[in-house]
Amino acid sequence: MKKFIAMLLAAVMLLSFAAVSAEDAHQLIYGASTEIGGDFSASDGWFTNNATDAMIRRMTDDCTTVVMNKEGAYIVNPTVAADVQGEMNEDGTKTYTVKINDGLVFNNGEAITIEDFVWTSAFGCSPVANELGAKVTAYLTIVGGQEYFDGTAPTISGLRILDDNTLSVQIVADKVPYYYDITYAAFTAFDMDFWLGDSVALKDDGEGVYFEGFTKDAVEETFTAARFMASPERVSAGPYNLVEFDQSSKQATLELNPNYAGNYEGQKPSIEKIVITRAEDATWADALKTGAFNFYDTITDGEQVNTAMDIIEDEANKEKLGYGFDYVQFDRPGYGKIMFQCDFGPTQFEAVRHAVAQLLDRNEFANTFCAGWGGVVNGPYGTAMWMAQEAEEWLDENLNNYAYNPEAAVEELIADGWVYDAEGNDYVEGIRYKKVTEEEAGDYKHNVKLADGTILMPLIIEWSSSEGNSVSDLLSVMLANGTQTAEAGMKINQNVMTFSELLNYMYRDVSQGAQYGIKTYGMFNLASNWSTPVYDRSYDFTLDPALVEQGYNTNFIFDETLDKLTMDMVYGVEAGDDAKYLEIWEQFIQLWNELLPEVPLYSNIYVSVFPDWLEDYEQTSYWSFENAIVYAKIAD
Amino acid sequence: MGKYILKRCGYIVVVFLILSFLMYALYNLIPTDPARQELEPLRQGLKADEYEVLYKQTRQRMGLDDPLVVRYLRWMGLWKDVDGTFNGIVQGNFGYSNLYKRGVIEVIKAPMGNTIFINIFSTILSLGITIPLGIYCAVHKGKRFDGATQVVTMLGYSIPVYIIALVFMFLFCVIWRIFPIMGTKTPGMTYANKWQEFVDMLYHITLPVIVMTFGSLGGMTRYVRSSMIDALSMDYIRTARAKGLKEKVVIYSHAWRNALLPVITSILGWFLSIFSGSVIIENTFSLNGMGRLYWQGLNNLDFELVLAIQMFYSIVSLVGSLLIDISYGFVDPRVRVDK
Repeated sequence: MKKFIAMLLAAVMLLSFAAVSAEDAHQLIYGASTEIGGDFSASDGWFTNNATDAMIRRMTDDCTTVVMNKEGAYIVNPTVAADVQGEMNEDGTKTYTVKINDGLVFNNGEAITIEDFVWTSAFGCSPVANELGAKVTAYLTIVGGQEYFDGTAPTISGLRILDDNTLSVQIVADKVPYYYDITYAAFTAFDMDFWLGDSVALKDDGEGVYFEGFTKDAVEETFTAARFMASPERVSAGPYNLVEFDQSSKQATLELNPNYAGNYEGQKPSIEKIVITRAEDATWADALKTGAFNFYDTITDGEQVNTAMDIIEDEANKEKLGYGFDYVQFDRPGYGKIMFQCDFGPTQFEAVRHAVAQLLDRNEFANTFCAGWGGVVNGPYGTAMWMAQEAEEWLDENLNNYAYNPEAAVEELIADGWVYDAEGNDYVEGIRYKKVTEEEAGDYKHNVKLADGTILMPLIIEWSSSEGNSVSDLLSVMLANGTQTAEAGMKINQNVMTFSELLNYMYRDVSQGAQYGIKTYGMFNLASNWSTPVYDRSYDFTLDPALVEQGYNTNFIFDETLDKLTMDMVYGVEAGDDAKYLEIWEQFIQLWNELLPEVPLYSNIYVSVFPDWLEDYEQTSYWSFENAIVYAKIAD
Repeated sequence: MGKYILKRCGYIVVVFLILSFLMYALYNLIPTDPARQELEPLRQGLKADEYEVLYKQTRQRMGLDDPLVVRYLRWMGLWKDVDGTFNGIVQGNFGYSNLYKRGVIEVIKAPMGNTIFINIFSTILSLGITIPLGIYCAVHKGKRFDGATQVVTMLGYSIPVYIIALVFMFLFCVIWRIFPIMGTKTPGMTYANKWQEFVDMLYHITLPVIVMTFGSLGGMTRYVRSSMIDALSMDYIRTARAKGLKEKVVIYSHAWRNALLPVITSILGWFLSIFSGSVIIENTFSLNGMGRLYWQGLNNLDFELVLAIQMFYSIVSLVGSLLIDISYGFVDPRVRVDK
């Protein structure tokens, strides 16, 4: 037995030595909370890449004409584009002409051609893309795209290769002017031969771009191989090369691309090697502590942030590891919320929505849920947005913050007519009732009809809450089961269900069952995030029944002004007219704050932890790891 | 025997077909819209007309507008797919993973390899410890060592494996830092040869294997012990001892051979389980194995992936039970499986 144990220990020591000896002291090991799937397709949308796959792809492909800068604004990338000009046409369309710089090369040293910038847009107009399983929509935006997609035109008339360095794109009339229309001029270089093979050509004979030899059979094998390829042979043009993806261990390795031209400021990365590996929710802290990875991106949970802070302050661990940790914090570009459906039951009444907001101590809620790492917003925005920063004072002065005030909640309810009991007598205690019209009553299941025909609606809100959700748990304690709610004469029934079922009810998706079409739940708890600086709320409050059926306006709030403001905010403002955009944005936020189709609950402060040997790492809500790492360097 | 095996194979086909339809129907009755789920992450970046078109195309591509039976037959490869070809299980296509964006077979390859690699070690180690330990305890029933083993195995049997995993992880990875905490590969390591890669993987899976082994010691040790105690109390053992046979011969040739019959069911079950991963161990140690893949498939409503895994396990179970039945005949000549 002793011999066996001795042999076992010797084997372990040998294994430990063999494995640890090859580690690099200053290797950045990124712990990703989303496992790498392995699909690094040229566009995030074609196959709905997961977050980590998309991040890796963006780290390897960054030769784009229009990019986001550190401040979250879209700008022309001078490293790639010599000039970008937009011009409105008489027919209401808009043409962007883009001139590409000379001398741009892929990671293998081969020159980037104008076709490498254009083919992805042409791909988005081709029915072959659909046959390959890609989800494309470019044909709906580019003039002539629909005809090419339908096979009624041989070329995409609105997409042109004008010379070896110049391209142009004509945007359909109903999509301009658009506040973010500079993004229509964003073209990224992807090596066409690598993605589609040698047999396909992209041509322009003066009538628009078209493919030659582009069929599913001709490209499928090459295209699929390119999507999943991770090796030094992968052709790309970003700061890093994806040199390896180990399917077995789900680890990706990225190395510097010596041929990278730099980002929009000409900045090139200096961290030579980045390894991306999976971080488990249950063990990430121990993994960080023991050096299994040394970078943990965007910790969202307040308790976890506090754990990270403990690790950062742990001097003994620093000694063991040979390095310590530092962190960067930034605001969440979004918020957790209570969402109301405003076309039936008690939540159709503004006063009820206001009362719910005032019956919940949102500051306490945010503080508890975020463990001190978060705050409260009073409208549909995140504090990271430039509009919120610009209008900070205005927001403070003009928005109702719905402070915790059960008395005020009761007053609003009384003023709105919630003054009866179930028999129609004056309210004394229990659940409040309101006399409603037939139209207001609808077929809400809790309604009471008195002998004289009067319909009474009780203040009972049915709440759809997703299972295993800590926000739901806290809401249940602080709101649904709070004494202040009962004392106000309100009852909130929590109905726990899976998230997909919650979505079915939220979208009233009858295709999944007739029950989802019945107006059942007036309250949901969800979250909103804006992962890019594009704040486009068009159609979110549409009055068009067809769009509502498609899943737009999930608040079912039909307010003409709200709809008009959200449409005008992006489609009524020329690109670059920030003042007008901000003006409409403020009007929208104020109206939203009054109508209160949602109650924002909390907006977290996120934290990313990195090794203390990493310098100049500055991450923000929109300037994420793939952007920030380009500026980071190893401390002397 | 041949006729019996053929008959059982026929049963396997029938059971597989019934099971496949039931499973397919169950997953498809879950009220979720795979097309909406696929487009949900893109929704914010899409304009209304774009979303509408994509939604219709995605539903059409997934064949979601067809009746359940048609979809099932397509999945089985007995009905033309939306592209007009027969392309299902019968043709060797076990489905498409919406989560990993590729064929299920492609997705399963690497996790299956990891799971088998880990489970082979764990199974051999477990059996290597539990069988001798169980026999030793049975032979020395009531002694101090037996008592101590009973207590330890009872603990191992009672403590959930995730607790064992976390405790071991804390001790071996965080406090003593002997083993890596997760994964199957040292991040960023470039291997000079396959042997180095093998050694690195071995190093990474050592702790999970120890945890899996520790967690399974209790059950099998107690099973072997109890089976051996029964066998040792038989008259033929007394006869063998009375004949003056050596104790080793009595234990291993007479008692163990007879005690093996109930044990073999479990042992074969263990060997068959090398294909199935442990959801808890693989998730705790971040191992890319079958258990974890199955769990991720379920969490992400990736039904074709989950169905393929379940169908694979169904086949393994059906074939496994046939093998167990046949093995009885080999272990105990009194058993005639073809009767």
